[in-house]
Amino acid sequence: MAEKKVDSYRFLHGVEKRMLQRWVSLSRETQIPWTPLARPLSQCTVSLVSSAGIALKTDDPFDPEIETQDPWFADPSYRVLPQTVRTGDIEVCHRHINRCFAEQDLNSVLPTERLQELEELSEIGAAASSHFSYIGYTLRPERLLRESVPGIVRQLREEHIDVVVLIPV
Amino acid sequence: MIPELTASAGAPRIAAIEHPFGMTLGRPGDVAGQLAVLRATLQAMAEMTEPGSVVHLPFEWASTEKLRFGPPEPPPIAHYLVRHPWDLPRFLSRTPPVSGS
Repeated sequence: MAEKKVDSYRFLHGVEKRMLQRWVSLSRETQIPWTPLARPLSQCTVSLVSSAGIALKTDDPFDPEIETQDPWFADPSYRVLPQTVRTGDIEVCHRHINRCFAEQDLNSVLPTERLQELEELSEIGAAASSHFSYIGYTLRPERLLRESVPGIVRQLREEHIDVVVLIPV
Repeated sequence: MIPELTASAGAPRIAAIEHPFGMTLGRPGDVAGQLAVLRATLQAMAEMTEPGSVVHLPFEWASTEKLRFGPPEPPPIAHYLVRHPWDLPRFLSRTPPVSGS
């Protein structure tokens, strides 16, 4: 059987498809970081990072006014989500996606329950205590990179995370 | 989901999947499908040995049902570009105007 080749644009049409094809065409060579896996996956602690803009209902919500005032980027802050988070605990604040799938089942974009199951099957060492989310839409990434990414990285290091799965939406 | 775009940001390991936006792991309630995707992603990650590796996951999105993948309302940038069509080239080239201008 032929190996699968993902069609990146299958679910895109019209302006959105042309826009993303254009953005891909702008890609330039970039330095790629690399950290070898330190131990077998069955011994690794795994954390998840979602660009869906997921916040706990008990959190300060992401501020939609930031994007309303300047439509070139969204609220650049991030939220920490505990491993115990469940669908009823969250709201999704990304204004460029259909939020209803994640609001029906958080695991469609942040699979904390599936991660727990892999831990119980001993396929990973442990699900991390903390996962993270930010709003992935931005054409002004400076504040996200300056204000949010260092905080996420700091907490990942403090919690001795071995593997981070970045999950786009 | 757009692995070429992810690669352009310098991601060291990429597991590409042909799933609709908003359902990266799978459909709401599809426990087996979500688990299979997460398992395959982690296994692919563990097997990659070169920076910039891309593995195309073998999952097929077989449904022909019409699902709305976009947001319920156009985002602010869509309204903005209707009012400021001369900024469309900026949007396509990812070069926004200086903030506050």
